[in-house]
Amino acid sequence: MTWLAWRQFRMQAVVAAATLAVFAVVFAATGPHLASLYAASGLSGCRGGRCQHLANNFLGQLGGTYGVLWTLAVAIILLAPAVIGLFWGAPLIARERETGTAALAWNQSITRTRWLAVKLTVGGLGAMALTEVLSVMQAWWAAPIGRALGYGGGAAGTLSQGRFSALVFASHGITPLGYAAFAFTLGVTAGALIRRTLPAMAVTLAIFAALQIVVPLWVRPHFFPARQAVVSVASLQEISLTQGGLDGSSFTLHAMNIPGQPADWLLSSGSVNAAGQLVSTTPAACTAPSTEDGPNFLPCLASHGIRETITYQPASRFWAFQWTETAIYLVLALALAGSCFRQVSRRRT
Amino acid sequence: MIEFHLDGRSGVAPYLQLIHQVRQALRLGLLAEGDQLPKVKDVAAGLAINPNTVLKAYRELEYEGLAAARPGVGTFVTGTLAGASLAAHGPLRHDLQRWLAKARRAGLDDESIEALFVSTFRAAGEEGVA
Amino acid sequence: MTAVIESEGLGKRYRRLWALTECTLSVPAGRVVGLVGPNGAGKTTLLSLASGMLAPTTGTIEVLGGRPGAGPGQLARVGYLAQNAPVYAELSVSDHLKLGARLNPGWDAALAADRMKHLDLDPGRKAGTLSGGQRAQLALTLAVAKRPELLLLDEPVASLDPLARREFLQDLMEAVAEQQVSVVLSSHLISDLERVCDYLIVLVGSRVRVAGPVEELLASHHLLSGPRRDPATLPAGQQVISASHTDVQTTLLVRTAGPVLDPAWTVSGVTMEDLVLAYMSQAGLGRGRRHLEAQR
Repeated sequence: MTWLAWRQFRMQAVVAAATLAVFAVVFAATGPHLASLYAASGLSGCRGGRCQHLANNFLGQLGGTYGVLWTLAVAIILLAPAVIGLFWGAPLIARERETGTAALAWNQSITRTRWLAVKLTVGGLGAMALTEVLSVMQAWWAAPIGRALGYGGGAAGTLSQGRFSALVFASHGITPLGYAAFAFTLGVTAGALIRRTLPAMAVTLAIFAALQIVVPLWVRPHFFPARQAVVSVASLQEISLTQGGLDGSSFTLHAMNIPGQPADWLLSSGSVNAAGQLVSTTPAACTAPSTEDGPNFLPCLASHGIRETITYQPASRFWAFQWTETAIYLVLALALAGSCFRQVSRRRT
Repeated sequence: MIEFHLDGRSGVAPYLQLIHQVRQALRLGLLAEGDQLPKVKDVAAGLAINPNTVLKAYRELEYEGLAAARPGVGTFVTGTLAGASLAAHGPLRHDLQRWLAKARRAGLDDESIEALFVSTFRAAGEEGVA
Repeated sequence: MTAVIESEGLGKRYRRLWALTECTLSVPAGRVVGLVGPNGAGKTTLLSLASGMLAPTTGTIEVLGGRPGAGPGQLARVGYLAQNAPVYAELSVSDHLKLGARLNPGWDAALAADRMKHLDLDPGRKAGTLSGGQRAQLALTLAVAKRPELLLLDEPVASLDPLARREFLQDLMEAVAEQQVSVVLSSHLISDLERVCDYLIVLVGSRVRVAGPVEELLASHHLLSGPRRDPATLPAGQQVISASHTDVQTTLLVRTAGPVLDPAWTVSGVTMEDLVLAYMSQAGLGRGRRHLEAQR
């Protein structure tokens, strides 16, 4: 049965190998240059305040090409589970039903349970290995960038996203493993229930995409209780500020990162007064046009006791989040696999 | 080794047709005592018929004393139908050819010849010619 | 002799439609069984139930004394050839043989190789490029080389040209002669079955209409023709299967255990085709005909 599973998996394996080869070639070609740029930047073992400046220099040097490569690689890693679910998972049972070859396979001298177990193992392990290896290769290549970001570097477009950002979290660490296992078993289950390949592919894509939107937005932030910090508005570096109302009488201030804690995951922020209540009314003294539009606006707010409260998840929890999310997806994958066995053994029609 | 054929439209059961063909072969001297009949497997595969049909025919021939099965080897002819009459076949065939030539010269077509023969044959049979 | 298929009140329903009802059979071993009936009569359903591809809705079925599809042992004893001989289009002919060898402990490699030589198929050829007849032969090889005790074939020759059909049946009969395997094959073409079957099951409208050894059936069914007469006037032992009337003449196909003694009838034998057609018309058109009779 192992032979048959591999023989039927051959085309998918070839595509997987080709993808790995492309990654390997591109990263081998550009990785050393990136590493040498990093070595020349003086960031290695850097300590102190000037490190952030050096990091910005380094990231600024990289130019458009590295940004494009980074984005492309991350895009492929993010798409890989979906592609696996569609082209490895959905046809596994559905195609056999559609073409009638299920009658051939299931009337040899092995049970359907064994047939499915071997096919799920081969496909599932292959899926997990492919996405995880792609992710690891990309992480190795982009390591210098990651270190520069750790020093507080930024302003280099997509390259400056932190580990907790949606795209990076989903393409680094061990989450790709979980997504691949889940998408694959989701595809197989859809194929087992729907029995037609194309509709099964559509359903798999829809469900997987929906989860990849819903989980980062509404589920992931709640894995662990968030922490709160109250900081001085004057110390904020990156902000989103809108002012409005009559004569600029109201304002909305959002912090985009936490001063001194660049790698933490900022969930939300809001301005509060000295009593701790949310405020959006600009103090009268700060509404003067010269103050409002100038660099003194924030210090003015601060002098009226207005501070910024920030809800966040600390960077140290990164791996806890990774394990939690991966575990959730793996458990879902196992549950789906279980339902596949039930579906295949049922002989209704 | 003789070869069997089946007439699907004759209305005669296949196994009877096989028996008939063996007897015919025996009469015409195509099969002699000790000759092997075609293997059941080969007849079934050649004609695309059920092997049981062939087995039934061979068993019937065994019952009539015309054949005997040797397990693991095959079925062999043990009896004969030709007898002395085989010697007379030559001259009789010659006479028949001359009669056919005469009938054709008289203007009879195939159907008329066949009808004439069959009706005379049957009438002679009813009279109980020895 | 043990039965290869034993069913009691077997029924299968899809949503609201009963594909097979009240099917009670006891099919003896060592036979080539013909399963005849019009399309949609339930032939595929019965074969699927026997192979374990489907589970019954009601009733029971036992194949070779075991539950269909229950475990590798049972699966090894039964060979199944589905309609249109599905094969893996992307796999080559030799890949298929390897499939058979790897998935069947009872695989007879010599037999498979022998058949392949006889079939003259290029082993490297992708199965998707084979003709219908070649696919059917490949599928038959896979089913036969695992040395089953029972072969279930679902309309194996339905879509084949006459030569391919003949060759398939020849090879099937050779396998039966060599391996003593029991066969159930379904068809809606009676001419194929006449040559090869010695047991007949007629399935019409999801029910078994008649089942038995061909010899017995042909001996117990007669064609009666005589002056115009109401079929209801026949003696109790004579069951009318089909009837047709002109204004002066009646022709009946009857089933009876004993001889027909009424001198008014001219009695003749029936062919398998006559028999099957009679049961098919009994199932479908019987009521319609009687209705017409009443109107006259």
